Amino acid sequence: MGVIEFSGVTVAYQRTIALEEVSFGLEPGEFLGIIGPNGSGKTTLLKTVLGLIKPVKGRVRVLGVEGEKLAQVRHRIGYVPQRKPVDPNFPVSVLDAVLMGTYPALGFMRSPGKKEREKALKVLAAVGLEGSARHIAGHLSGGQQQRFFLARALMPEPEVLLLDEPTAGVDVATRRQIVELVSALHQERNLTTLYVTHDINEVMPCVDRLMLLNRRVQAFGGCADVIRPEVLEKLYGIRVLVLEEENRRYVIVGDQHG
Amino acid sequence: MAEMLSFGFIRNAILGSVLVATVGSVIGVFVVLRGLAFAGAGIAHAAFGGVALGFLLGIDPLLSAILFCLGTAGLISLTGTKANLRQDTATGIFFSWTMALGVIFLGLMKRYDTRVYGYLFGNLLGVTKGNIILMAILTLFVIMLVLLFYKEFKLLAFDEEMAQAGGLPTGWLNGLQLGLIALTVVVSIKAVGIILIEALLVIPAATAYQLTNRYGMMFVLSWILSVGASLGGLVLSYLLNLPSGATIVMVAALLFALAAIFSPKRRKCRVCGREA
Repeated sequence: MGVIEFSGVTVAYQRTIALEEVSFGLEPGEFLGIIGPNGSGKTTLLKTVLGLIKPVKGRVRVLGVEGEKLAQVRHRIGYVPQRKPVDPNFPVSVLDAVLMGTYPALGFMRSPGKKEREKALKVLAAVGLEGSARHIAGHLSGGQQQRFFLARALMPEPEVLLLDEPTAGVDVATRRQIVELVSALHQERNLTTLYVTHDINEVMPCVDRLMLLNRRVQAFGGCADVIRPEVLEKLYGIRVLVLEEENRRYVIVGDQHG
Repeated sequence: MAEMLSFGFIRNAILGSVLVATVGSVIGVFVVLRGLAFAGAGIAHAAFGGVALGFLLGIDPLLSAILFCLGTAGLISLTGTKANLRQDTATGIFFSWTMALGVIFLGLMKRYDTRVYGYLFGNLLGVTKGNIILMAILTLFVIMLVLLFYKEFKLLAFDEEMAQAGGLPTGWLNGLQLGLIALTVVVSIKAVGIILIEALLVIPAATAYQLTNRYGMMFVLSWILSVGASLGGLVLSYLLNLPSGATIVMVAALLFALAAIFSPKRRKCRVCGREA
């Protein structure tokens, strides 16, 4: 049985359809890259996996449960939301804020103890923030904040990791570090990973499968099946060139080849 | 000072002010960190409708104020989620509606009761033993709930989206927090009055916010500052023959001004260069 199963899922905000007849399935440990234009439903898809948005039609099954029961498995899912600034004046250290990732799994009336603190320090080390544990969370730089969100998502030892444009707004070097970090964590922990991005080239080396989304699933499969100029040109409405070198594909958009 | 403490009503006032300072300073931390100051003001003003109804029906105005404050907290929470309205908009609706109800209730009374003013501006020196017992029970209840949901409220204040994504019942927790503000208002009505409650909800916590970067410490400092301002204000009001509630607010505001001017947060962080 798949970790995530969507069958004929339609999601609407009032009368605006955000996802239409979306069907796909992921096996444990698979890495899915999701790409699509702005407003194509990528974030909505992740929130539907979390059970934060209920479909108006279709069936969503995550970690063996569906419907109202999705809320019960949320603590087994790590979620890195779209980049948003952390309040620079909120009185909390990076370590304390990462520990908040354990709160839902701990349940009411239980506080994180020594074991959780040690785990938080290990997770911070894994994302390269070991030296920032005592800093104010809101004082981290943009790239550090993305790593911090990743660390917090990893705290409950999730089986599924959802990342919503984790490299948005960071420089090229940091972007590469974050992608490599996510790829390494996925392999080490056998995490079923859904990675939403606008940069196809960024995720191609690490994904098992790619989904091109524009309300409907436009294409779903391995990079060789999905990364084709005609498919991408239909999705974005602009000219696309796909280069191949040493078994790796690179997408160039615009009129560079014109 | 000894002469001051020899009066029973002064001893009641001291106890009452410590209770109000305690509950206000704790709930105030959430009010400041979550930007709930307007919701606090709205719920406080809703108490006016409850007090007026109490006078109209001849029942204890504090009891009807409890109903009005809790009801308004519930309506703000429900309207925010069910009608997709921002919380400040929902607060604006019920703030004015309950005030209008209060005016109508007063208009329906056969003769105007000047005791209503006592609830608008507070009368710390008029707090009775019965009032103190009710205030102590409500204060203990509020503090107990804050301790029970301490870490959930912390996550809610820091990142509501993550709290929801993690599976916490955020709608329910938001409603509970507004309910706790409502109970805090009721605890404080008799002592500082409907108009001045907001000051004790916001100023000590805002002052503590200027002084620390640690979440837990913010509660401790907020409490110390609130109790300090309350007792200091009470003594000053006795010595200068000024209204007690307003004098307490003056002292709290002075402490805030000093904290804002000399805040360690104005100093730059050595690591990142930001103001710490």
